[in-house]
Amino acid sequence: MKRGSFVYHLGGYTFTFPYLLLFAVFLIGPLLFGLGLSFFSWEMLSSESPHFVGLDNYREALDDPYFWRALKATAWFVVLAVPFTIGTALLLALGVNALPKRQGFYRAAFVLPTMINIAVAGLLWRWFYNSEFGLFNAALNVKVPWLTSAELALPSIALMTVWWTAGGSFLILMAGLNQIPESVYEAGAIDGVTGLRRFFSITLPLLRPALFFVSIMGVIGSFQVFGQTYVITGGGPELSTRVLVQYIYETAFRNYRMGYGAAMSWLLFLVIAVVSAVQFAVNRKGEPK
Amino acid sequence: MIRPQKGKLILLEALLLVAALLFIMPVVLIFLTSFKPDAEILRFQGVLPQAWTLENYRELLQSSAEIPVLKWLLNSFFISGCVTLLVLAVSSLCAYALARLDLPGRKQMVTLIIATMMIPGQILLVPVYLILNAFGWLDSPRALIFPAGAGAFGVFLLYQFFKGLPKDLENAAAIDGCSRLGIYWHVALPLSKSALAALAIFTFTGSWNDFLGPLIFLESLERYTLPVGIALFQSSYAIEYDLIFAACVICTLPVLVAFLIFQKHIIKGISLSGLKE
Repeated sequence: MKRGSFVYHLGGYTFTFPYLLLFAVFLIGPLLFGLGLSFFSWEMLSSESPHFVGLDNYREALDDPYFWRALKATAWFVVLAVPFTIGTALLLALGVNALPKRQGFYRAAFVLPTMINIAVAGLLWRWFYNSEFGLFNAALNVKVPWLTSAELALPSIALMTVWWTAGGSFLILMAGLNQIPESVYEAGAIDGVTGLRRFFSITLPLLRPALFFVSIMGVIGSFQVFGQTYVITGGGPELSTRVLVQYIYETAFRNYRMGYGAAMSWLLFLVIAVVSAVQFAVNRKGEPK
Repeated sequence: MIRPQKGKLILLEALLLVAALLFIMPVVLIFLTSFKPDAEILRFQGVLPQAWTLENYRELLQSSAEIPVLKWLLNSFFISGCVTLLVLAVSSLCAYALARLDLPGRKQMVTLIIATMMIPGQILLVPVYLILNAFGWLDSPRALIFPAGAGAFGVFLLYQFFKGLPKDLENAAAIDGCSRLGIYWHVALPLSKSALAALAIFTFTGSWNDFLGPLIFLESLERYTLPVGIALFQSSYAIEYDLIFAACVICTLPVLVAFLIFQKHIIKGISLSGLKE
């Protein structure tokens, strides 16, 4: 069989076929289908058959106070969770990286929570935050309404998220720190660059790619927050923690308004895409020349 | 890395130890609490159980009608096991062909597949639900297994890895009359054990910990996976914290064991996945 012949190519493509079939049916297909769906009114439980409504679903979302409320809660969560997660991860990574030994133990400790299922983690923290017999109030001897006040509930969930997800960013930042060559620090030491100056003029710039990666992934992931709020507060109190994915979930899978649900998920996608694009632009602008 | 001086190092390690304890404690608490009698859980009297008991586990495993924990556990194992096998099989075949075979259009295919990694998963929920509904696959393990096989991460990870394999080994095998499938199976796969192990562990824990998928695609109680079962039984029953903690331990143990055994591969997998730049 000759390389480059028709039979050769056909044989090669059969390797890719099983994956591409799944890829087409469960990724590309649904992506296009979902986009089309967002222009239809499709109420699964109604006798009315799906019909084209153009941009009506999108218009409805923009007029829907609950959509805005959910988007606001989601954005607030992103603002709270992402910087604190990355900040925590960065501090931990710098600390562990400076240790001569036992790095493995600390790495395992910080990554451990990311392995815990959100149902388990959520239940646990619900118990911590319980204002009657929760661990936090008992241990601190206070009466803080962690989850029952509309102002505190989302920050409480963000705090839990820092614990749950910092390990992932920590690992990536550790990998980034390990790639900074020793010689750069040695050269800096000869020039008398030490302490905080060393951090700001050597470590931070060289860690940029890793920091950029964790912030992009953190923002994309946090806009899709759902498990935490669903398990810990169920969206309450007063809808203060009902994030966009939960609103989409309720619209599509409780009220079976598929078209509207699809339209809102495309709006969420749009928001994520715009925010990521801004991050990319800012990153490019600040890049050392 | 230039190390801090001795005094600073001790302070640093003390701080890190406190942080590590804060990260570990919640997980340890799940385990310890699962051995506490009911009354002790409600009135917190210290971290260690004052009266150790296995009662919670016994009760949990016996209350199988409303809370079929063992069934959920088996469902979780079955689904995560199948997802892992499927992902390893289809993505390694596809990644191998795209990385090592001379096929027209492969660059474009790779770009397309990797580009889909930027798409947030929730955008697929509604259409995938409707497709599964049309197939009649809802409320069956298939609804969770096959869509997971379409994920791009495995192809991406293995593609990067296969690209770096030396050409000579392949050529030698080809001269010995090995077919392309034979080279993939006898040369490429054995050389990629660490990448495959990393992918396996990511896929297994990812599937095991998936929450939104099973919540939406499964309907009947006895078909649930463990996490969805746990979340449901805390919301629809009066909270029985004793049973919940035992169930949480059962849900956590498999990934914890996998994590401890494959820790090195997890770390390696992160650096394999192209973050090196």
